[in-house]
Amino acid sequence: MNHWDAKHMHAGSDDLAGPGSDDEMFFLTEMEEDALKEFFNMGLGMAAASLSQMVDNEVLLSLPQLKVVSYAEATRMLVSDSEEKLVAIRQNFTGELTGTALLIFPGAESLELVRTLLNEQMPLEVLVELEQETLQDVGNVVLNAFLESFTQMMSIQFEFEAAEFLKGSGSFLLDISSHLAAQRRALSDVDDSGGERAFVLMMDFKTHDEEETQRTLSGFVVLLFSQHSMEILKRELKVILANL
Amino acid sequence: MERKSVLIVDDSSLARMMVRKIFATRFPDWNLVEAKDGEEALSLTSDEVLLALVDFNMPGMNGIELAEKLMERNPRLLVYLVTANIQERMHQRAESMGIGFIKKPIAENKIAEILKSFV
Repeated sequence: MNHWDAKHMHAGSDDLAGPGSDDEMFFLTEMEEDALKEFFNMGLGMAAASLSQMVDNEVLLSLPQLKVVSYAEATRMLVSDSEEKLVAIRQNFTGELTGTALLIFPGAESLELVRTLLNEQMPLEVLVELEQETLQDVGNVVLNAFLESFTQMMSIQFEFEAAEFLKGSGSFLLDISSHLAAQRRALSDVDDSGGERAFVLMMDFKTHDEEETQRTLSGFVVLLFSQHSMEILKRELKVILANL
Repeated sequence: MERKSVLIVDDSSLARMMVRKIFATRFPDWNLVEAKDGEEALSLTSDEVLLALVDFNMPGMNGIELAEKLMERNPRLLVYLVTANIQERMHQRAESMGIGFIKKPIAENKIAEILKSFV
């Protein structure tokens, strides 16, 4: 288990919203959770395939771990015991499902990703200069592929806003008021009634060449949904499962 | 006549249910053998299995590793990797082993196309 895994694994299965948690309406049955995992897996698979084209290398994914947690729990998982700076690409989505998708990396590792993507040795200052633009492209590819897996499987339509680059602590990156403010810029009617839930996916990915050097890049995909969007998501899951 | 069997290997119950539904409604003459990972698949497979639809990203062995073992045991077995993650290198590696690809989410007509080879 690497440093990043170890740091985040302490948010265990107790964190899953379930019977007895403070908000039972978000309880997902085993089948619903399995279905969500499968959608996310498909999304990650599509994202990996797109990333692989970008880096012209095979991108290997670990099995992602999915946690469905409250917004507060998600923040705790990310903030953890570290003051480490993180980078994130944020993409808001609006429509029948409204929320925020974030792809988050440890700051130091994000520069390694940029180095891999640009496929050449560059001085640090040049890498830093290109970091924002390059990661925004990566975020766009990964998060679009990821969210598209929802639209493929469900009768839900939504649109993506432009990706934004963020850098800061975990609590800064998950600051809900900032996401809502960004959604407000795109929408006149934003559901900020509270009760946000988060899907947090933890995964490692590495390129084929990196496998030989045992280097991996770990990241998170965090999806923040409003209470209303969670209800729609749950309804869609029920419909899909009822048809099988 | 003995029914033809298809082995479906996926750690997701939803994914297995989706394939099961396609077979139950369109190809009911096929017998389904389901496994949630490579170990279980190896314990359940037999010579009657003619086709294996195998997820790539699973706990334990991955789809290609499993395919290799299945084909060792049963050289006439037709194996398809079922994944949303189709990358060039993986494609080449699988193709060189005689393994096909089906893109997730799995489409009914793709199964129909594959089953034509068993008519």
